[in-house]
Amino acid sequence: MPLSFYCLPGLRWSTPLNIGIAQTDVRLGALEDNLEKHLEWVKKALDRGVDLLVFPELSLTGYRLLHLTGRVAVRPAGSALLKPLLEASRKLALIVGLVEEDGHGTLYNSSLLLSDGRIAHCHRKLYLPTYGIFQEGRFFGAGRTLSVAPWHDNVLGLLICEDLWHPHLARSLAMAGAKVVIVSSASPGRIGPGATPESQEVWETLIRSTAIVNTCWVVYANRVGWEEGSFYTGGSLVARPGGDVHCRAPFVQEYLLTADIDLREVDRLRWRLPLVRSQRSDIEGAP
Amino acid sequence: MIRRQDVRDRLRLNTELATEVLSTFIADAVETTASNGVVLGLSGGVDSALAAALAVRAIGAERVHAFVLPYHSSSPDSAADAASVARDLSLTLRSIDISPMVDAYFDSHDKEADQVRRGNKMARERMSILFDQAKKLGLLVLGTSNKTEILLGYSTIFGDNASSINPLGDLYKQQVWQLAAHLALPQQVIDKDPSADLWPGQTDEGELGFTYEIADEVLYLMFDRGLSPSEVAARGYPEKIVERIGALEERNRFKRRLMLIARLSGSAINLDREIPRD
Repeated sequence: MPLSFYCLPGLRWSTPLNIGIAQTDVRLGALEDNLEKHLEWVKKALDRGVDLLVFPELSLTGYRLLHLTGRVAVRPAGSALLKPLLEASRKLALIVGLVEEDGHGTLYNSSLLLSDGRIAHCHRKLYLPTYGIFQEGRFFGAGRTLSVAPWHDNVLGLLICEDLWHPHLARSLAMAGAKVVIVSSASPGRIGPGATPESQEVWETLIRSTAIVNTCWVVYANRVGWEEGSFYTGGSLVARPGGDVHCRAPFVQEYLLTADIDLREVDRLRWRLPLVRSQRSDIEGAP
Repeated sequence: MIRRQDVRDRLRLNTELATEVLSTFIADAVETTASNGVVLGLSGGVDSALAAALAVRAIGAERVHAFVLPYHSSSPDSAADAASVARDLSLTLRSIDISPMVDAYFDSHDKEADQVRRGNKMARERMSILFDQAKKLGLLVLGTSNKTEILLGYSTIFGDNASSINPLGDLYKQQVWQLAAHLALPQQVIDKDPSADLWPGQTDEGELGFTYEIADEVLYLMFDRGLSPSEVAARGYPEKIVERIGALEERNRFKRRLMLIARLSGSAINLDREIPRD
């Protein structure tokens, strides 16, 4: 039997996936400026041999848009804004964030996976925080579906920020085959007595516990910079299947974090720790 | 349940992290607005000294324009302390005496004005000069009001509470002191009794009738944690002072929300059209 029979199409077992996290600042409402920055970071990532470059939540528009939301909305199909990014996606896959207009009067906070010159997947944020300083529910519609990205053996699941706070979503992705859960985020920081921003401690707990209970990689891409007096923490990180922190970016400053992700590590862990396959959906219902 | 001793712990800041983050706030604002730098008034007090120190860290001393703006009744110590801060931070300090402008108004139109009105006029005269210098040099006016005085309304509307950006507005007074110590600002500036120096002998705590330590803790419990005045008092704070702090916070809310526009159209500025700034 030829060796290729044993190899997953698209990705070879022995080849790690080199993921890059673009921990960038974003100019609020400035699509062209942000596009230019995306293309600069694509160049940097290519120099580092990145296969998949992940940008933060709403990376093309900025986060706290309020009544600017509609003004920066994009219909992805045929969008002139996405064209240069689609072109770049022939060299490496990209996950970018934008305000997606569906043409039926609803705007979504979406992450797009761009690969081989096309939109391979779109995740519309499912949980829209509308409390405290967050006002997403006023301006966005919530997504209605969740699925793994149909890309490279369906091993990628995309979530956006608040989605990770609802643990059944990551579980659902893991059950559907995700070995890597990617979380694009625009998470604002708070500072107290500790050396780590308080908000980051909560996030790290969530990310690591997601990696533990779903025995998968978790890639957290958070932005930096200021909007209307609120700062974003950065502190992007990658957690291994099992929950250890594989690598992390610094706080507050722009940074390109790269990580070789061995997908087989997920398989090996799941052989001995079958948390995902032992899910009792018959009792608990599908997650 | 949060206890009184927990409050003190909660008001402790990681000074290194806070300094780094607040410096990026100033640098980001200057870059985003394509300004040449910032301008601020150095009063000789700890708030403006801290704001200046953060700005120097953020964008360098040559882009930080400092002014001392004395009135003839201002304490000479204030100007001396401002000079000492400027020296420490390698800032060029310019002095503009506001006495002629302030006196011209009251002497010509209202000789009987009380010291509060005169104090307000001084605060606005200073801010007027800072905004003019900002226009002249393409700068942002750096605010120096802290969270305690903003919440208490212990400020002059369109005077010291006006600014383009304010790095200190979410710091209680004792957090200002913590950062000032971390940045090794001149000790006499950290140690002296806080004063607006609007008339001889004025001190903040004397005028307010309670200490900043109490004010910070009571405000933290009420504003940050949402406790009622009786819940705060139950934690061992004097009831009368808690009531007074609560009343000041309530009475002065108007100073925190500028431009109250009467809405007619359904597309009113701010209310219907919240257009953010970066």
